[in-house]
Amino acid sequence: MSDKFIGAISTDEIAPGGMKTVELNGRQIVICNCDGTYYAMERRCGHMNAPLELGTLDGKFVTCPMHCAQFDVTTGQALSGPVPRDMGNERIPPKLAVFLEQVGMQMQHIRTESIRTCKTKVEAGWVHAAP
Amino acid sequence: METESRKKALEYFFGKVVGPMGFKFTPDPELKDFLLEQEVMLETKHGIPFCPCQPVRHNRIRDMQIVCPCIPFHRKHFDAIKRCWCGLFVHTDVIDPESLPQLPPQDVGLE
Repeated sequence: MSDKFIGAISTDEIAPGGMKTVELNGRQIVICNCDGTYYAMERRCGHMNAPLELGTLDGKFVTCPMHCAQFDVTTGQALSGPVPRDMGNERIPPKLAVFLEQVGMQMQHIRTESIRTCKTKVEAGWVHAAP
Repeated sequence: METESRKKALEYFFGKVVGPMGFKFTPDPELKDFLLEQEVMLETKHGIPFCPCQPVRHNRIRDMQIVCPCIPFHRKHFDAIKRCWCGLFVHTDVIDPESLPQLPPQDVGLE
């Protein structure tokens, strides 16, 4: 993380509760509008790298669209890991069941890591971030 | 995962849900802190913050009815006793949760 701020996005491009991805210095950064306060964090989820701007932002908490891991956008701290999914009573084809079992075995070793955040400031209607 | 941060997050999410249902967090800060901590531990174990005072039976339909806040699934009972089972939530008019009796459903005319 540097202290050199770069203009990232116009404030009127993100509604409160919204998120948008920008590329700054070759890094993909998500700018979050938390009710008028802007925060910036890495785009990739600390669990399985899903793009976080496709998830939901509620207050200062972002939920990953893929497995619902949650992060604090102000600190980047991981707050929860993936949420288990119910496969229901639907019969899964045997080959797919074997594949899912393999994936499940690998996934249980994946830790949900905190993500990096960047400093932000708002000047003249622009959100600046220091990636 | 940091327990204290997760407790704050759960408090935020639960608060948004229970308020419109006429409930609030218990005014007892120690009990609230303890119960939220138990839920964080349950969430770490199961991936879902189940009610800390109910057993997880690994029956999906039953277990989904004890995901905190479980008020919608047991509304009649909780309205009758003005609190949820574990006491994390009480009716908005309750100022002394200690005075609330814990009555089983049959004692309040249910089941």
